[in-house]
Order: sequence, then structure tokens, then C-alpha cells
Amino acid sequence: MVGMVIERDSVGEEGDDVVTPGEFLGKATDFIAGKGAYVSPNGRSVRACLTGRRKVTAPPPGSNDNRSTIEIVGHKAHGAVPQPGSIVIARVTKVMARNASADIMCVDSKAVKEKFSGIIRQQDVRATEIDKVDMYQSFRPGDIVRALVLSLGDARAYYLSTAKNELGVVSAHSISGGTMVPISWTEMQCPLTGQIEQRKVAKVD
Amino acid sequence: MEYVNPLTGLRIDGRRPTEMRHLKGQIGVVSKADGSALFEMGNTRVIAAVYGPRQVQNKAQQMNNNEALVRCEYSMANFSTGDRARKPKGDRRSTEISLVIRQTMEACILTKLMPRSQIDIFVQVLQADGGTRSACINAATLALADAGIPMRDIVTSCSAGYLCTTPLLDLNYAEDSAGGPDVTVGILAKMDKVTLLQMDAKLPLDTFETVMQLAIEGCKAIAQYIREIILQNTKQLECRRGS
Repeated sequence: MVGMVIERDSVGEEGDDVVTPGEFLGKATDFIAGKGAYVSPNGRSVRACLTGRRKVTAPPPGSNDNRSTIEIVGHKAHGAVPQPGSIVIARVTKVMARNASADIMCVDSKAVKEKFSGIIRQQDVRATEIDKVDMYQSFRPGDIVRALVLSLGDARAYYLSTAKNELGVVSAHSISGGTMVPISWTEMQCPLTGQIEQRKVAKVD
Repeated sequence: MEYVNPLTGLRIDGRRPTEMRHLKGQIGVVSKADGSALFEMGNTRVIAAVYGPRQVQNKAQQMNNNEALVRCEYSMANFSTGDRARKPKGDRRSTEISLVIRQTMEACILTKLMPRSQIDIFVQVLQADGGTRSACINAATLALADAGIPMRDIVTSCSAGYLCTTPLLDLNYAEDSAGGPDVTVGILAKMDKVTLLQMDAKLPLDTFETVMQLAIEGCKAIAQYIREIILQNTKQLECRRGS
């Protein structure tokens, strides 16, 4: 009694293409369901699962399937998520013997909505002499570092790396509280006291 | 007490038996949440806020790695009913309704698209005048659509009852506490599938069919209204964005 799927909704009601979840977009034989659309359980129709505008993209050349892909472009911008290969800005939270934990705050110059956990292992701090790295002379809690996401890591944290010239500490505070100035790729100096502290410094142009 | 006047055929609040209460919906009322909505059905007013998809906070609750975890919490504000003395959440009725709303929304959210994440739905009743369960589901649907969470279809819910040998649509508190049967139906509007069906008290089977059919029609009317609200909201956002 209540199992019939109504497939006769006209495509493009009201003359514009803003759709709501559940609306019929096309037949599964004519379209592939892209992002924001799904194939209904009986396998015959493609329906929307988001609110937004309909977008049809032509099939890629050289593929066997010549159906167009139909997508729904939603209106809400979702927060950035770190992907392997993206450059992130993170704040160091914990420094231990073999790794340092950091909270990822920006991904590729876009701030995240909720912070992600990252970890910089001893072997990923720099490119040379990786077994002689002293974590405490590379990072301190509270430093802002620019790092590269190596992989999605384990269930707890992303794996980050600072093993390039332009990666490493970009901003740090000294023990006295002043913002330090970089003087070489391993040292930063406090302007208030003149004290030199060891960090793995990023080469910022 | 005559819930349906034998002379005029009108109910105690002046509605006809198959007439629903006045609906009003508003999207984006809680700016911190990913999606939020305020929904009114007559005097019943409900606010819903959706957070997600975000990282699972309690690993122990995560049953299935391939799907998103949907959590729902229903609470009634202290000032929502006539007498103030009410424990807002944790009592049996709130726990039951939280479970019902969670199961209804879980059936319609495409959880397989967001593995290892969590979607939180918080619904709070600001003013209770019968049909709070239905109003909560409708508000949750609006909030989920606002948050951009992929759903199979718009879920809407409506209640219907049977008093003075007349099927009545959308009971208010006075009609609900009359002791007659109260059927709550939740459907996926365009796909015409039932996701929630609850009834208390007893009804003969053919009467039940009539009452359930009436509730389903009420749900479809609400779905029409909800769809208009969502489209209007999207057009307004585009207008503000300048496209």
C-alpha cells in the first residue's frame, strides 16, 4: 500500500533548479549520481540528498559510460579537513622523547572549524641525521609550526612532517615571554634578553 | 466533554476535524550550530540544533566503523508546560522520545557517506501543546537540511486521533489528554515510505486505517511547507552572497 515510488515529479519545478532532499533528478539510465545525489533503492531513479543547485557535468572523454554526472552544490561551506600533501599550520601541545603532538588549526590557509590532532615523529623533523634529533631542541609547547601532512596516521592523530627548508617553527615565544626572531635554521633569539634558543626554524621568504 | 461539536462539527479550538494547526518554520536560529531550526505547530514550539558531522567524542559508543553515529537528545524546557515542576531530561518519556527521534532520523540520513563521524541532534521543546514528538521531528528535518547533511528525503511527522467517532488531525494537548487513541506517523514524503508509526490506546483495524491515512495526508502537507521554507532559505542565502 505504501511502497509505490512516485516518479512523475517534473524535472525542474518552478522553472529553476534549486532542489531539496528526496527530489527526483533523473533516471539512473541517463545519469550517474555524483556528490549530493544518490540512486534510489529500486535502482531506477537518481534523487537528491542535499539542498542546493543542480549541476550536470558531461561524461569524461574516453570512458565506456556515456551518462552525464548529476551533482548538487550545497550552500553551506564545510570546514577544511587535512588531506595527505596539504600544508598545515599547527600549535605544538606536547613534546616527548620521540615525537611531538600538535593541534592543527589551519589547512592550506583556511581555518578549521574544529581542531585536529597531529603528531610529528622524531624521524620526520628534518631531512638529515634523523636519528640524532633532539625533540626538545626542535620544538617547545606553544610554538606555531608549518608542517606537511604525510598521511591520515592512526586513529588518534595525523602524521606531520617538518623535513623541508620551508617547514618548521614560524613563531615562538622565549622563556622571558618575547616573540623570538630567527637567526639560523636551528636558532632563534629573544629580543628582550638576547638569549638564544634552539628550534627547527622554517625558512620564510 | 464534546471534543467535536455535534451542531457545527468544529473542535474546541474552532478547527474542522481534518484541519491542521498553523505551521511556522524558521531556519538558522542558532548561529553556533551547523544547522538549526525553529518549528511551530499551533502553540507547540520546538527548537532543533544539529552539530556534525564531527569527530566521534566517545569511542565506546561508536558501534560501526563504516557509518556515522547519530545521537539525539530531547528535552523540555521547564517553562514549556502549565506547571513548572518538571525534570527536563533523563526521565522516561524524554528518553523514549529521544530514541524515537533518533531512529526516525537515522533511517533517513545517509550514514554510510560519513564513516567514523558523529552527528548530534538536540531538540528542545519551548512550548508544549500536544504533538511535541511530531514538531521535534519536523524541526530536526529542517535543521539537518540547513546543516547540509545528506538525507534520503524530507521526513515529516503528524499525529491524528479518534474522538466522538470522528478522526481528528493534529491533536492539541486538551484532545490528547482526553484518553482517546493517538496515532503518530512519520513518513519520507516523496518516497512515500513510513519511518515512524506509534499509537497508544486501542482502535479497531478499519478505523485505524482511516486515522493513519489522515495522518499521512497531514505529513504530506507539512512536507510541502517544509520544502518551501528550505527553498526560500536557499534563495535568501544566495541573494546575500550576491550570486
